[in-house]
Amino acid sequence: MTRSRKPASIVGAVLLLLAVACAPAFAHTGSASGGFAGGFAHPLFGPDHVVAMVAVGLWGAFLGAPAIWLLPIVFPLVMAFGGIIGILGVPLPGVEIGIAVSAIVLGLMVALAARPPLWIAAVLVGAFAIFHGYAHGGELPAGADAVAYFVGFVVATGMLHLTGIAFGLLARWPAGRIAVRAAGGAIALAGVAFLSGAG
Amino acid sequence: MSAFVGGLLHPLAVPAHAMALLALGMLIGQQSLARSPAPPLVAFAAGLASGLAAIASAVAQTSAGDLLLAGAVLCGLLVAIAYLLPVLVCVLLAVGVGAALGLDSPPAVISMAAATTMLIGTGLGAMLTLIIVALCARRLARLPQIVPRTGMRIVGSWVAASALLVLALRLARGQLF
Repeated sequence: MTRSRKPASIVGAVLLLLAVACAPAFAHTGSASGGFAGGFAHPLFGPDHVVAMVAVGLWGAFLGAPAIWLLPIVFPLVMAFGGIIGILGVPLPGVEIGIAVSAIVLGLMVALAARPPLWIAAVLVGAFAIFHGYAHGGELPAGADAVAYFVGFVVATGMLHLTGIAFGLLARWPAGRIAVRAAGGAIALAGVAFLSGAG
Repeated sequence: MSAFVGGLLHPLAVPAHAMALLALGMLIGQQSLARSPAPPLVAFAAGLASGLAAIASAVAQTSAGDLLLAGAVLCGLLVAIAYLLPVLVCVLLAVGVGAALGLDSPPAVISMAAATTMLIGTGLGAMLTLIIVALCARRLARLPQIVPRTGMRIVGSWVAASALLVLALRLARGQLF
């Protein structure tokens, strides 16, 4: 039996149009679109952040279940902790070096197809997440809506993980495994370049 | 745009409200695998009605926005953990989020009639959004595949992380509570 999906589509389109046409000024300042777009773009324009996040996803795919699903859940929360200590001004030495090293280590883990116990992988990734959160979490542009900005920032970071996981799933096939490990090697090399810039 | 439609869309247009509703709705849907979703939904309606009634009686400015974010953190974390909770925890969270959402929705109109209409719209919009999210989450949680269930947990962690960062920023600026 086939059912027409037209009424649902029309209702969806009308709701979307209403939401777009709505002027959400009321008693709140800032807007969802400006803050969200800024926050979403922020991690995407930091190559050090991009390669490390993708490496986390790639490694998760190599490690398999439950790591593949656990890392995208745990990482944003640990990263938020790093962001909090950054926002509160708690000093953390060697942040830029830590971020560059994260790309090197995570890239190498993927390139070498390393499979340590889950707790070691979680501690390693969590430690790097703190550096990334610290460096990027507190960079709120003046005038941006904080809630929308941080939602955009966290969602973009999560999407980078999922991109890494999606690419990492290619490792199920022999040719894909080579491609994924090569990507890990490239990420590690990029990390070396970041490290020479950070030092 | 009429005051009613403005109020109806208010919970979706304000990021903190949308985030709290998403997190609470996912929590209710996730928990409803083992029990009925009705008690937390009714509790939310009661909390929301009290918050809106307080706003209608011109209650002074409160820290409801921060409480709403704290509620989003808690609900997001609980969704990410995906652990079966006592029904009382869900009910208390629902009352708190509902009341905070109502208190954080002051109508920006001068006329009393328009303000009342807008508050009614806000109440309906928030309730409908929560019911829709909870029902979708319940459906996703019942699927046998791991991806939809884990996807919900990932979104929960995103909500909790975002709200935590905002609360930290407000604390650093001396604006919290």
